[in-house]
Amino acid sequence: MAHDTPIARRAFLEALGAVSLALGTKGRPLRIVHAGPDDPEIPNEEVRRILTERFQNRPITRGHVTLEMPALAEDGRYVPVSIASDLPMTPQEYVSGVFLIVDHNPDPLVTAFHLSPAFGPVAIQTRIKMKRTTWIRAVVETNGGAVWADYLKVETTLNGCG
Amino acid sequence: MPDIGTTRIAVPDRIQKGDVIRVLVVIQHPMDTGFFRDANANIIPAWFINDVRVRYGDDEIARFEWTSGISRDPMVSFSLRADKEAVLSVLSRDTKGGAYSGSVDITFAAP
Repeated sequence: MAHDTPIARRAFLEALGAVSLALGTKGRPLRIVHAGPDDPEIPNEEVRRILTERFQNRPITRGHVTLEMPALAEDGRYVPVSIASDLPMTPQEYVSGVFLIVDHNPDPLVTAFHLSPAFGPVAIQTRIKMKRTTWIRAVVETNGGAVWADYLKVETTLNGCG
Repeated sequence: MPDIGTTRIAVPDRIQKGDVIRVLVVIQHPMDTGFFRDANANIIPAWFINDVRVRYGDDEIARFEWTSGISRDPMVSFSLRADKEAVLSVLSRDTKGGAYSGSVDITFAAP
């Protein structure tokens, strides 16, 4: 379609940004939501509470974290999870926290790993329970305060939480 | 269940100083969520390990916050920089006050 060029789309988004600025949203970070298939859903209230409690208002950027899970977890009682990060683990610069959030579990923050530089490079595997199909967030925090993440949507058929 | 809390730690057979090794920890525990019922429809109360400490020699190198969202008989594996010959131990506590531990000696093989 001739009228659906990237430039037109960009101009539209810029206009949208200008409108939201005009509507008085300035001062708060302008968040453009790219609702692509790889992007997680908007955090629910409980997930938002957890993210604020743990990371305050620091930006959470996708990258430096690799979350691996089966796309279809047949048994919600035992779902394998692998979280890896290429961030350095040196006494000066290291990953201080690894958080796993399962959006639609009764207790979404399933686990938090607090690490020291003596720990090796981040490559953690474990098994978790899932209540239903949901987005899963692996969030990594460095001692410098940077927050990185990776997201996956995992389908499950058998409720493992009760 | 008399074996609750049994903690097994597996590390490679041959370790040399400076190796990044894979450590596998398995703890026997029901990790009950408190949402399931038994055969008589009675709620099985929540009972799970919520605090795990990993010690390597004299240092606490990691602390894990767990919830009942971790599967029954929790398994966790991670990488460790084997920079000294020392005891690697895993100490865990559950929501009923149970305390469990397991350990393994990290020793270096001759090159």
